[in-house]
Amino acid sequence: MTAALELREVHKSFGTTKIISGVSLAIPAGERHAIIGPNGAGKSTLYNLISGRYPLSEGRILLNGEDITGLRPFEINRKGLSRSFQVTNIFHRLSVYENIRCAVLWSLGYRYSFWHRIGGLRDAQHRSLEVMERIGLARRRDTPAGELTYAEQRALEIGITIAGGASVILLDEPTAGMSRTETAQAVELVRQVTEGRTLVMVEHDMGVVFNLADRISVLVYGEIIATGTPEEIRANAAVQEAYLGTLHKEAANA
Amino acid sequence: MRYQPLNLGRRVLWSATALLFLAAPQVFSASFALTLMTQMGTMIIFALSYNMLLGQGGMLSFGHAVYSGLGAYLSVHALNLAGQGAFPLPLPLLPLVGGLAGLAFGVLFGYVTTRRAGTTFALISLGVGEMVFAGVLMFPGFFGGEAGISTNRVVGQPFLGISFGPAIQVYYLVAVWCFVCMAAMFALTQTPLGRMANAVRDNPERAEFVGYNTQHVRFLQLALSAFFAGVSGALSCINFEIVSAENVSAIRSGGVLLATYIGGVPFFFGPIVGAVVFIFFVVALSGFTKAWLLYLGLFFLLMVLYAPGGIASIILMQIPVIRARRFGELVLPYALAAGAALVALAGLIGIVEMVYRLSEQGANTVLAVLGLSFDARTTPPWLAFGAVLVAGLAALRHAARFVSARWDTIQQSLQARAA
Amino acid sequence: MLPVLFSAMEFVLVQTLNGISYGLLLFMLSSGLTLVFSLMGVLNFAHASFYMLGAYFAYQVSAKFGFWPALVVAPLLVGAVGMLVERWGLRTVHKYGHVAELLFTFGLAYLIEEAVHLIWGRLAVEYRVPAELDGPLFHIMGSQYPIYRGFMMLVSVTMLVSIWLALTRTRIGLVIQAALTHPQTVEALGHNVPRVFMLVFGGGAALAGLAGVIGGNAFVTEPGMAAAVGPIIFVIVVVGGMGSLAGAFVASLLIGCLQTFAVSLDWSLGGITVSQAAPVLPYLLMVLLLIFRPKGLMGTREG
Repeated sequence: MTAALELREVHKSFGTTKIISGVSLAIPAGERHAIIGPNGAGKSTLYNLISGRYPLSEGRILLNGEDITGLRPFEINRKGLSRSFQVTNIFHRLSVYENIRCAVLWSLGYRYSFWHRIGGLRDAQHRSLEVMERIGLARRRDTPAGELTYAEQRALEIGITIAGGASVILLDEPTAGMSRTETAQAVELVRQVTEGRTLVMVEHDMGVVFNLADRISVLVYGEIIATGTPEEIRANAAVQEAYLGTLHKEAANA
Repeated sequence: MRYQPLNLGRRVLWSATALLFLAAPQVFSASFALTLMTQMGTMIIFALSYNMLLGQGGMLSFGHAVYSGLGAYLSVHALNLAGQGAFPLPLPLLPLVGGLAGLAFGVLFGYVTTRRAGTTFALISLGVGEMVFAGVLMFPGFFGGEAGISTNRVVGQPFLGISFGPAIQVYYLVAVWCFVCMAAMFALTQTPLGRMANAVRDNPERAEFVGYNTQHVRFLQLALSAFFAGVSGALSCINFEIVSAENVSAIRSGGVLLATYIGGVPFFFGPIVGAVVFIFFVVALSGFTKAWLLYLGLFFLLMVLYAPGGIASIILMQIPVIRARRFGELVLPYALAAGAALVALAGLIGIVEMVYRLSEQGANTVLAVLGLSFDARTTPPWLAFGAVLVAGLAALRHAARFVSARWDTIQQSLQARAA
Repeated sequence: MLPVLFSAMEFVLVQTLNGISYGLLLFMLSSGLTLVFSLMGVLNFAHASFYMLGAYFAYQVSAKFGFWPALVVAPLLVGAVGMLVERWGLRTVHKYGHVAELLFTFGLAYLIEEAVHLIWGRLAVEYRVPAELDGPLFHIMGSQYPIYRGFMMLVSVTMLVSIWLALTRTRIGLVIQAALTHPQTVEALGHNVPRVFMLVFGGGAALAGLAGVIGGNAFVTEPGMAAAVGPIIFVIVVVGGMGSLAGAFVASLLIGCLQTFAVSLDWSLGGITVSQAAPVLPYLLMVLLLIFRPKGLMGTREG
């Protein structure tokens, strides 16, 4: 069975500094997969490689069996992969509604049209309203995105990512900087919107990870030292040593 | 700045604009006023096309005159050919020729220039502009060298009985095209491409990640903008009946940048205001003083420093206050600030004019103001004007603080009410 | 046969030397621009205006006190103007973003040009090469090579080497280099980063002013000189790659030689001589480079 997202022997160096050393990973369709690891392990770099922001030094990346190595971000996006950003990356001068609408335009086939009146595009309107309802921002639809609260912006970030209907979703620390309540809401949101899709998530919050993920990969110094179900990872000695360490003891005592 | 989709009844606004265009020559019927308004109409199209790049696409260009100028050149040749009977071309359709020429060059140069973004794009546009300007001077056969190509707009058969000789008829031709182009450019902002241009402006990286090739979006936006620039070039050709290298010069490119910015880049109607103010400065003021370009540059700098959203932003900021019926509280602070500014301006004008008289060989160094005459070579007028300037600036500083304080009070209570 | 070869060689040698001296002048200008851009992210549109101010200040000072004092005083004056501009202008617009900064310097260029018109009039002023530097330095084959050109090269090279040494060997230079990439960290370490910025901007202006002092009398000193050399400098910065000093160096020499050679060649291509086409050549080079190598020769930083 073809994996939804597959990395084969991916290497990345910046000059002489090796950031990613031989990462291989296969994520089946529909799985929720988390990538965890200490700071500086290369998680963001890995995302940037997958989404086409940086070129690979070596290796291949396949999306639904198709080689996407070396393609530009918009080409990768059109093939069905969408990502969010750790530092909120939205269209700050456009309203919430317009942000979402921009995210659906290509997938609805409007491309670079300058002959359609955007106000009259029913399908774009419906889809945007739908997404706004899901992320809970419908009542803020005309607010400029730059004026939203931090948590609202994170929700919008997720909304833009899923609005285009991509089948593989990459979320980069979706709950970063959130309070307990906000995190719980975000987790629910992520669970709902990734129903039936493939999710890859970078996260630091272990509660979120163990709650959402079907499988977890641990990235340390640019290498994956373990992949498995949450229970397997919790029990893995190498992972405990490298990363979970005291957290494991805490969780065991909790 | 809060984005306000002016829902003040768009239909009312557009109808009012149309009426204004129709009625203006009846109200301001002096021939000087007519020339002014015709030029304003052309400049409005040019500035709006420029804002398609800057305000909507986030692309700062220092070479936009290339498209209007080359559109003008091709129009002037088409007009001359039509005049010789080569093909029938009714004058009202000439702007279409200019527009298509602009579009063609937009595609040609745009392909190269949109490969980079941001500051690099700005510099490249400057380079292309200089290249075209130098190129125009290199081929006098087609471009007429420094003297340019002249034409006669009264060609062929009159169109529905209108010959377009008299200035009033040219005004109405420009007015119609101006209205049509305004409507067209506004409509373009309400299309997928128009919206994605905004998205690319705000966050090009994100735009790529929602499936759009940002370079292609910018390329298309530039090509469309160049079309309208070409239209304005053709109208300029009709109005002045001459096209020269000045039409593609860096001066023209700088001019439309100034006009658009002064009017207000973030708003659709900003460039309209800016075009009117700019033409007024250039045409009317230049008759009064040789230093008009200095004043214009100073005005522009002050805008960049203190009102980056332009005149439009200043106007729009007052609207919530007016709606809350608290504008009356601002009248006094504004009046004081205006008074202080006028005093400072008087001091500045005095000094500038005196410097001009001194630097120009053989100029009369004796100036007369309000019945008093003084010689620029003596010291007292310098001290006097200097004192006036300093006093004005000091007063302005205090008045500005007064305005600021009053403004903050009003804003706070407005926000408290809204919460 | 031999005489033809000889005169061709003579031509090539003389023009190469001329091209290098012009290219070094261009590098003095483009390096200042690149340094300010790399450090502060702002492209100073008024950089060529500082060049012009340097020439005009030197003209005034040398009229009263002679050339040698002017060589020192004029750049300092321009540097002072630069610092004032940074303190009272750029710092205010900094919060509005890079576009606003660029527009501010654009308006400033307008203003400076008009002020120069105002004070010195629209015609060129007689800023001459001083008598002691006027004359032949050496003879190459049949032609003379002027002393002043050699002097220009000497000043350019000395200034650039000093700056390189200052940046890499002194403490303030290291602070500047650090502030290039980590301004907040440097400020947290106790250095006055805003003052550093002011010094760097003033330094860039002074460098441009110095170029004006030595270039203004070799070429022409008139109000249009900023608008004449400005676009060339920007082309150099784009061709060399935004933010790359090495790229600016290569591009400066390349374009310096290109223009010098082109202006003196009378070969004809399709009805136009090369010398007539000379003004267009740097821009053509830029366009070609953009098509085949958009990052520039050695690009490092996107605007």
